[in-house]
Amino acid sequence: MDAALAHSFTISPESSRLKPGELSTGTTIMAVPFEGGVVLGADSRVSTGTYIANRTSDKIAQLSEKIFCCRSGSAADTQALTDYVRFYLQQWEVETGRDATVKVAAHLMRKICYQNKDNLSAGVIVGGWDEVDGGSVYNIPLGGTMIKMNCAIGGSGSTYIYGLTDALYKPNMTKAETVAMVKKSISHAMARDGSSGGIIRTCIVEKSGVEREYIPGNQLPYGP
Amino acid sequence: MSRDSNYDHHISIFSPNGRLYQVEYAFKAAASASGLTSVACRGSDTCAMVTQKKVPERLIDPSSVSNVYTIIPSIGCLMTGHSPDCKALVSRMRYEANDFQYKYGYPIPVGSLAQRIADIAQVNTQKASFRPLACTAMLVSVDDEKGPSLYKVDPAGHFLPFKATASGAKEQEATNYFEKKVGDLSGYNADETVRCAIMCLGSVLGSDFRGSEIEVCTVEKGGKFKKLSEEETERHLNDIAEMDA
Repeated sequence: MDAALAHSFTISPESSRLKPGELSTGTTIMAVPFEGGVVLGADSRVSTGTYIANRTSDKIAQLSEKIFCCRSGSAADTQALTDYVRFYLQQWEVETGRDATVKVAAHLMRKICYQNKDNLSAGVIVGGWDEVDGGSVYNIPLGGTMIKMNCAIGGSGSTYIYGLTDALYKPNMTKAETVAMVKKSISHAMARDGSSGGIIRTCIVEKSGVEREYIPGNQLPYGP
Repeated sequence: MSRDSNYDHHISIFSPNGRLYQVEYAFKAAASASGLTSVACRGSDTCAMVTQKKVPERLIDPSSVSNVYTIIPSIGCLMTGHSPDCKALVSRMRYEANDFQYKYGYPIPVGSLAQRIADIAQVNTQKASFRPLACTAMLVSVDDEKGPSLYKVDPAGHFLPFKATASGAKEQEATNYFEKKVGDLSGYNADETVRCAIMCLGSVLGSDFRGSEIEVCTVEKGGKFKKLSEEETERHLNDIAEMDA
């Protein structure tokens, strides 16, 4: 534990709970719903202490056809979590004959996070589109609370952009405005947080489908 | 003497002439419990299954009556037999399929699922405390490596891949019908495969159907297993009627 503390430069609670040498997605993640869909965004840096193990990782994992989750904290823990939620969500879809809803996916994620809170170091944001609620976003930070939000941010880099997102967010933004806001906010976080960097990956989920894009590190809206 | 006590009729132990009566009774139960017949066949890139839909009482909600189940999105099954046993077997299949996918990271191939279920069915034929399940399962999928695949698993624990098969009350007549068509089957496209299955059931039961009297389900290459709606079924029935006219 001490070795991890010595190496970490951030004040995020996540990095202090990781075991020495464990991979951290010390990170910036974000998800914002808009009319008819959701925009999810994340940086791409995975670090072990000061070494960047992967500078182009994909922190937006797919839980079902139109539901995704942004992962932060321990890379191993969040991968295990998404494996479990996919497992249960697929069974739910088959048994009910319906497409998965974001509420059910978030509920499953939160149940597992809460029941294993002593052994996990994971903060996730579940976002997606479903027939019942349209675009919705649920933030599930460390410990396993679940909060439905209009603009969810998470990860070590999020601490630097609380003020910015409060200022930029307006209700009823269009898809383009939401995408621009997400990209700008994550760029600002990447500029100040040592554990966030690389490229910005975005995922736009709507009734018509899913679009995944990325912005290379030298074309960020704000930076370096 | 065991001949006198007839225990071999009551539990799954061998009779003096080497038969397992309980397993044979399970077959009879599966075939005649519901009185329905189901047929299935595979074409060049599609598998189709058709069964009769009979609502046992007028007060039952017809939308809830179905023998077609999805196991995982790419594998479907048609159950024939004693309805609670069918549901129990479907639950077990879903558990096994999802457990495989969780452990190994990819969807279970239909042949492996059939094998697993057959092995579980066989255990029931060797336990004194469990009876065999009175149901026959027909599993379909379009496998990545083997193409369209159809498997039948019976109460004894046999499982075999088939080009076309049937189960239920008129199993023998349906199988005879398919034997005449087996040469052409491998060339049939999606529509032709579905129609072949519907025509088989029609000729065996000696009647024309309406869309609400049969359940038709298919799985196509790269696609999910799906049950056809009444409109889609009617379209096939109309095409068949036009072909004959």
